[in-house]
Amino acid sequence: MFGKRIAAVAQHARAARTVVAAIALLGTAGALAPARADIKIHYPIIDYREFEFEYNGDTTFDKAGSGKSNNQSNVFELGYAPVWWWEPEIEFETKAEPGHNFAYDATTFENTFQLTEQGKYWADLGFFAEYSHAASKADADEITFGPLVQKQMSNILGLDLGHDTLHTLNVLFTKQIGRNRNDATPLAVAWQSRMQFNQYFQPGVEYYGNITSIAGTSNDEATQHRLGPVLVGQYNMFQLGKIKYEVGYLFGLNQATERGTLRWRLEYEKAF
Amino acid sequence: MNRLRILAGLAVLAGSWALAQPAAAEDSFTLSIKGKAFEPNELTVPAGQKITLTVKNLNTTPAEFESSDLNREKVVTGGNAITVFIGPLRPGSYEFFDDFSADTPHGRIIAK
Repeated sequence: MFGKRIAAVAQHARAARTVVAAIALLGTAGALAPARADIKIHYPIIDYREFEFEYNGDTTFDKAGSGKSNNQSNVFELGYAPVWWWEPEIEFETKAEPGHNFAYDATTFENTFQLTEQGKYWADLGFFAEYSHAASKADADEITFGPLVQKQMSNILGLDLGHDTLHTLNVLFTKQIGRNRNDATPLAVAWQSRMQFNQYFQPGVEYYGNITSIAGTSNDEATQHRLGPVLVGQYNMFQLGKIKYEVGYLFGLNQATERGTLRWRLEYEKAF
Repeated sequence: MNRLRILAGLAVLAGSWALAQPAAAEDSFTLSIKGKAFEPNELTVPAGQKITLTVKNLNTTPAEFESSDLNREKVVTGGNAITVFIGPLRPGSYEFFDDFSADTPHGRIIAK
């Protein structure tokens, strides 16, 4: 009888250790998971004197219980370009982790600087810099910065596709600041190439890579890669303004990335 | 930290190289906005090479030279001029308009 009780206690202890280990493992995975960078392309060309309202959203798809499904983000932006070379924007970011409701995540002051006249040089260059203030005191504020490059091509390696193609590259570094900061320097690389059939319909392909730390000291296994098709277009209402859209589906290319991400962007802009 | 330095160095090199590319000799053209019209309304330019287009706004109110076909959009304030860098263009017709004035007839650049 006594022996059976000891065996039962030992069995419970083993089960408890297993549960504790599993919780610890999940906690560690959560801590090492990279913060999701914005899944959108920043363009280096500024629309001088234009006011814009922009809505960016994305949602992820993966196996139920994987912790990578239904990760959602909604970002609302207001911007105006007072000079041809600078466009400041204010962003209001909301996010929902899997199984949770949307919560206010951050307020961001975003700046795009156009460094070259469009079409003057081999490529158009810009610079991006933003300061993001976390809504939660448990999170750190962040500074993100880096170059934006764009190239419009009438042919690729001598091959004329019948329409111009537009290629945009973002290389953005992030540093956390203040309390709770992590000293790693994540790098987000975004690439978009699209065919300019007409203003309404421009299909293309996009890649988004998130490297958790360029110093290689962080968890490289958490580096994420996404690749997929995108459709971009706009509808010009002339004096009433312009509506722009982007919708893309990204396939996760490695284990740390969810199987799929649907992203969209809707923008209204009006010149004043 | 070494990877950071290498990446930063590569970014600077790439940017410098892109900016250092000599601009090929470019043909220049001029367009004026006067009243509710572009003058000329149709412009013929050479295909296959870069061109510079000077847009003069002879009005006192701002205008915006815009072309979805050319992927260009640029504001020109009243009494001033802007330079638009275009091309190389494949042969064809490219529409442009004043985005601030729906009444202004659209113009065309013909690349031959």
